[in-house]
Amino acid sequence: MGRSSKDKRDIYYRLAKEEGWRARSAFKLLQMDQEFNLFTGVNRAVDLCAAPGSWSQVLSRKLRGREEKGDAEVKIVAVDLQAMAPLPGVTQIQGDITKISTAEEIIRHFEGQPADLVVCDGAPDVTGLHDVDEYIQAQLLLAALNITTHVLKRGGTFVAKIFRGKDVTLLYSQLKIFFSGVTCAKPRSSRNSSIEAFVVCQNYQPPEGYIPNMSNPLLDHSYDVDFNQLEGPNRVIVPFLACGDLSAYDSDRTYPLQLDDSKEYQYTPPTQLPIQPPYQQACHLRRNNLLSKEDAPSASNNNPDSEKTTPGWTS
Amino acid sequence: VHSPVESSEGPVLTVYSLHPPKSCSSLSVLQHQRIHGIRPRRGDAKAPAQEKSVFGGKAVRLIRLHPLDPFQLETIRPIMELHDWILDVRWMSGDPHPFLCIALAHNSALLLDTETETTLFRQSCSEGCLLYSALVLAHKSWSDTVIVGGTVFNQLVIWKPGDVAESLESKSPVVRRLLGHSGVIFDISYSQNEGVLASASDDRSVRIWQIGNLGGNGGQCGNQNPVCLHVLYGHQARVFSVRLLNSKVFSAGEDGTCLMWDNGQVIQTLKGHRAGGVRALAISSESCEKAIWVASGGADGGVRLWKLGVKQDQVEDNEENLKDLKFPIVICTLDSEESTWSNCRFLVCTDKGGVYEYTNKKWELVWQGPPEFQSYCLMEVASVKIKESLVHVCAVGNICGSVQVFPVANPKGGICLVAGNGKIHSLIWQKGSADGGAWLLASGSDGLVYRWWVEVTKRELQVVEMTSFELPMCTKRWLTAAIRVHLIEDAAWVCGDRRGSLLLYQECQNATMLSGEEQTLLVKSTMENLANKVKIQELTPVSALFGVHGKQGVTSVFEHSGLFYSTGRDGCVRIFHSKMSESQEYILEVLRVQRACKGMEWLEKILILETKVGQEVKPLAAENKESTEINQLCLKNTDKQNVQEARFAIVGFHGSHFVVWDPVRQERLLSVLCGGGHRSWSLWTDEKGHWTENGALAFIKQGAVLTSERTLKEANGKIGWSLKEGIHGRGIGCVHRLGRIMSQRNACWEIVVTGGEDTSVTILALNPKNGEMKVLGVLTDHISSVRALTAVAKQDVGRTALSALVVSAGGRAQIQCYRLLIGCGEWGETSCQVIQVAAHRLDEQWERKRNRHKMVKMDPETRYMSMAVLEQTPDSLILALACSDGAVRLFSVSEVKHHIELLWESFHHQRCVLSVATCCLQDTQCNRHQLLFSAATDGQIAVWDFTSSSLSNQNPSTPIFTIPAHQSGINSLDIYPVCLIDFHHVTVASGGDDGQLTVSQIKIQIVDNSDPQNRLLINLVNQSCIPLAHAAPLTSLKLLNKNQIVSASCDQRVCLWRIGSAGIHHQRAVCSHVADAAALAVWEEEYDQKSGSSAEVVFGDGEESGNKNAGEVCTEKSDTEGAEEGYVLICGCGLQLIHVLV
Ligand SMILES: C[S@@+](CC[C@H](N)C(=O)[O-])C[C@H]1O[C@@H](n2cnc3c(N)ncnc32)[C@H](O)[C@@H]1O
Repeated sequence: MGRSSKDKRDIYYRLAKEEGWRARSAFKLLQMDQEFNLFTGVNRAVDLCAAPGSWSQVLSRKLRGREEKGDAEVKIVAVDLQAMAPLPGVTQIQGDITKISTAEEIIRHFEGQPADLVVCDGAPDVTGLHDVDEYIQAQLLLAALNITTHVLKRGGTFVAKIFRGKDVTLLYSQLKIFFSGVTCAKPRSSRNSSIEAFVVCQNYQPPEGYIPNMSNPLLDHSYDVDFNQLEGPNRVIVPFLACGDLSAYDSDRTYPLQLDDSKEYQYTPPTQLPIQPPYQQACHLRRNNLLSKEDAPSASNNNPDSEKTTPGWTS
Repeated sequence: VHSPVESSEGPVLTVYSLHPPKSCSSLSVLQHQRIHGIRPRRGDAKAPAQEKSVFGGKAVRLIRLHPLDPFQLETIRPIMELHDWILDVRWMSGDPHPFLCIALAHNSALLLDTETETTLFRQSCSEGCLLYSALVLAHKSWSDTVIVGGTVFNQLVIWKPGDVAESLESKSPVVRRLLGHSGVIFDISYSQNEGVLASASDDRSVRIWQIGNLGGNGGQCGNQNPVCLHVLYGHQARVFSVRLLNSKVFSAGEDGTCLMWDNGQVIQTLKGHRAGGVRALAISSESCEKAIWVASGGADGGVRLWKLGVKQDQVEDNEENLKDLKFPIVICTLDSEESTWSNCRFLVCTDKGGVYEYTNKKWELVWQGPPEFQSYCLMEVASVKIKESLVHVCAVGNICGSVQVFPVANPKGGICLVAGNGKIHSLIWQKGSADGGAWLLASGSDGLVYRWWVEVTKRELQVVEMTSFELPMCTKRWLTAAIRVHLIEDAAWVCGDRRGSLLLYQECQNATMLSGEEQTLLVKSTMENLANKVKIQELTPVSALFGVHGKQGVTSVFEHSGLFYSTGRDGCVRIFHSKMSESQEYILEVLRVQRACKGMEWLEKILILETKVGQEVKPLAAENKESTEINQLCLKNTDKQNVQEARFAIVGFHGSHFVVWDPVRQERLLSVLCGGGHRSWSLWTDEKGHWTENGALAFIKQGAVLTSERTLKEANGKIGWSLKEGIHGRGIGCVHRLGRIMSQRNACWEIVVTGGEDTSVTILALNPKNGEMKVLGVLTDHISSVRALTAVAKQDVGRTALSALVVSAGGRAQIQCYRLLIGCGEWGETSCQVIQVAAHRLDEQWERKRNRHKMVKMDPETRYMSMAVLEQTPDSLILALACSDGAVRLFSVSEVKHHIELLWESFHHQRCVLSVATCCLQDTQCNRHQLLFSAATDGQIAVWDFTSSSLSNQNPSTPIFTIPAHQSGINSLDIYPVCLIDFHHVTVASGGDDGQLTVSQIKIQIVDNSDPQNRLLINLVNQSCIPLAHAAPLTSLKLLNKNQIVSASCDQRVCLWRIGSAGIHHQRAVCSHVADAAALAVWEEEYDQKSGSSAEVVFGDGEESGNKNAGEVCTEKSDTEGAEEGYVLICGCGLQLIHVLV
């Protein structure tokens, strides 16, 4: 398979490169904006789990350079475990959002002047064990929510990635405590086959007397066994909305390389090299045949051919 | 009592005993949580039953294991639910109270009194962050407890929940930090004896830390500055678990291997799981046996067990001496009674015509050929059994037609045979059915195969000439493989030649069915013939498959329980048999082709794989008897011989490696870097013709005899068992139930086929009564994920056998079609024969098109998403496929012609088509109207009219109707038509990515109209929906009958819905442990076995539910109520069979 085969299989991957986005996820935020006008009146925003930075690019392009106000009022803080290349007008923090010290650093940026919008596209290192992956994903969301309760202005918006899995309704009920409008949004650029979706939480209204507390993590709710929430019909649910134009490209469809007759296909290299993977060293050793083996020259890897699909969720 | 192995799948815990390895008992422990760990309570060795804590998710529960025979499990307390995710649990020792120390995911710990179910202490670490893994070191009191946590940011933090620091808001400070990993940490293990800590990581490494004392009295936290002793890189993917046993490290990971390390080096590699990797690992600490038990649990649900012997002293390096011999050209290993690699003997023939044996670390000349053997010679050795001892007989052929045959022990007692007067192209030995002799075949230059029966006594030989075979005319006309077989009542030879043909020769009449003494008689009589110079005419093949293995030739033929296996240099194994033709002659017929893997074209032979599934331990004799019974039964029923294909490994060359390849698990069992295809090599295995995980290779390379590494490491003594066979490993994307088969003793099996992301199709037998599951076959012809399956199945009257035409489709626009013959013996043993019918790739079809330059090239990346049978005629099927390139396509499949062809396509949807379903309506004139429903990512359902008459030529270009049903993609469709007096009422149920369940009721009137586009009057009478039927994508649904639906979703609920006049009502929901549910199969329980197949309704297929009503005008009541009891098989990440009461 050549380098263009990913272009064929994933239209948004290809479009992202052609339009200069660092990741295809940019389209997800753009399509949610089409539906919810996320950026109207927004000057101060937090982008949690931001690397490689396509959401920050969207924020930077949408919030800055608008005529009414100068860029001075605009503040964008991007946070990730990974370092990312700088972007105009975006302040970067490298750290773990579940860690108190990182949270405190973010909060310091918004003391006295709360944020209008918090977005979080965090996804954990997929372990392949669904229950663990879903749990960690939920904890990232709750960590983001906890930070949000410190920095978001009343009436503000919070957008975060969720996995629609076994216990997603527990998260919905927790979010509903803080926001009057909670919607499950699925941008059309997110694959039909993936359980990824986003919660768009509008109108931040913390409960009466709620004091944000950073020193203890927000824990997820448990099922109320008495009400048979587990197997009964009346679980907490929030409306579902597919976002983006139907006329937009279909992320599940395979497209020919030549999209229309007028324009010849040309391969575009990625805008930004992918983030350093944790297994870089292992790959280096493998390429140079330096991995430890039982029968030194012989025990090379099995199955060089079958097409392996990486498990889990595509972003 | 020997310690058992415990394993878990979802909430269910199973115990296996080790002596002998088999499963003993299972228990559902954690209800809705998946089990992540099992921890025995130590200390009270005298107690009759062992207590264990089992945990997973936020739940922990106590169980008791009774060391009876067989082992028994019992839960002793209700589930205790905590507020946070549990990463590790340990029993506190010393205290008579059953206290558990628990580490939680937000880097906190608690002490739980299991008797009162109360939390005594709860403490957080000052490093408030998420952990991926944790290790608890518990001792006598809470203040002794030490926690090691693996954080999101790749560090190991060590802290004591007993230390409370006021300055840190009453949290516990971090005492040590271990930095070094560049990925998150999945598992942590500690060895008290060695003072060593091990961590396994996403960065694919295992790190070994010299930590010193951890835990124990006073809760020690190890050395001030622990050093990292080793960074172990050996896995090809992430490392999920690590265990320590004395100085040895065991690690297992996503690459499906388990590695044993000593001193920074891999010393043992254990493989044996299908895709998805190894998740769980347990090492037995019994040192008394001097053996190490390793149990591994895979993402495929399989459980493997290994016993590793302690390595013997290394055998002296004899490689140097082996190389001494000048210009060896042929090597053979000699069989021996006690078959170990160390006393394995080699015989080598050199280019100077000398035969040497390697004994006492040097080469000794056995026989030196005269000058005519010096420029060219061939050698083969047979080991013949004579009264409990083995005699090795060697045959050497030369360029002018002579063959010297002699016993290795007495080279002077040889005979010179003549096989024509040109080059001997090949020599083949075939052992006799009884002791005392062997056949020798020599392929001469004249296209004739000369044959002798060689009678062997201790030191002498007697030879009888037999009729020669004549090979078909071709270039390179010589034999490359031959075996003697018995066909019903005749002796015959199945052969392969250099031209790639498979040939069947029938033994001449007077030589049939002889064994032992009779053979000797024959020998005598033929000798007389010889004396009389009666020349019998050459035999010609009674059946030939000319050139099936391609121009590079056949390399081997093998027989195993009635089936033949051939290999060739075309990269294929052919599984074939002989059958009687209509003219009562034997003919060879290929049933299935198995490819090795890409790049592995030069195959040499196959080896039978022992699967050793623990549950089926049965006396061998009984089994043999039963299997012949199956054959007979099936012969009657399906007129095809129904025998089970063996699991086999493929031996061949892959690039510069000699490889033993398992085509099912897709892994290398042995790999030796030997430089590539060799003329002469010899593979030694524990048991001839079988692969038992222990093998070594001797080969000739660049003028020297070499042996593979394993020779030097002698006797690893590794034995493996499969306690539970794994299935798929990665997600299962589709499932189809074929039907039920029963033994005469009423053992019954449900037969289903599944397809998955691991690119395989698996044939399974499920016993709904006890949940037992057997893998009957694995088909590995797909090159990409298998997403859709459909089948048309037929059952015999007694229901002991089933025959099904199965079609699978998936990524890279690939379709495969098989005929499966499945039988059930008297005791419930199953057999499964797979016959490949046809295969199709869209881009290949395009390449064959003559005027292809005028058409748009079909996209080879197209994925087939869903499939349904539109029409079924006696010799063909018409299939509808949903395609990711935006098309709906129709294909015809002909079983007779072995052909699949594209009939029609439409790009109406312009979006990825996700699902298709069909139904058939019949009008008053008995015309059949085929309807196709297709749905795409835009939430629209299109209805197409294909009447049987129009299928061939004028096909619709537009749908006759569209139904808007969902906001976004429609993952699943099902149709239920009911025929009323003057119209049809069709229920269309659809499930979407939006979690919505929609039921659209349409009314269809068939009008007399010559215009094919307006034959049907169709309108939507009613549409009702449940917007959030599921909290996650609704991925699969089935209409049980006109008004009941079963649906499944990624939210892990299986729901039952009723369609009433006022809309859809929720009836019931069940939680399932199958994540990422993708497909459902549903069937009813049968109450009355007597009433047989007519009582059965298969829900699994839109086509069949359509047929149910076709032809007769039903009144409403007859099909409103279905059965009251049934089964739902839910597939996704694993599979689960759920019994439902409707
Ligand atoms: C899907 S990517 C985000 C893509 C990004 N929105 C964009 O458009 O480029 C998920 C990111 O989450 C980050 N992440 C995961 N866990 C985190 C944590 N605990 N704290 C901070 N970032 C985290 C990962 O490093 C990764 O870069």
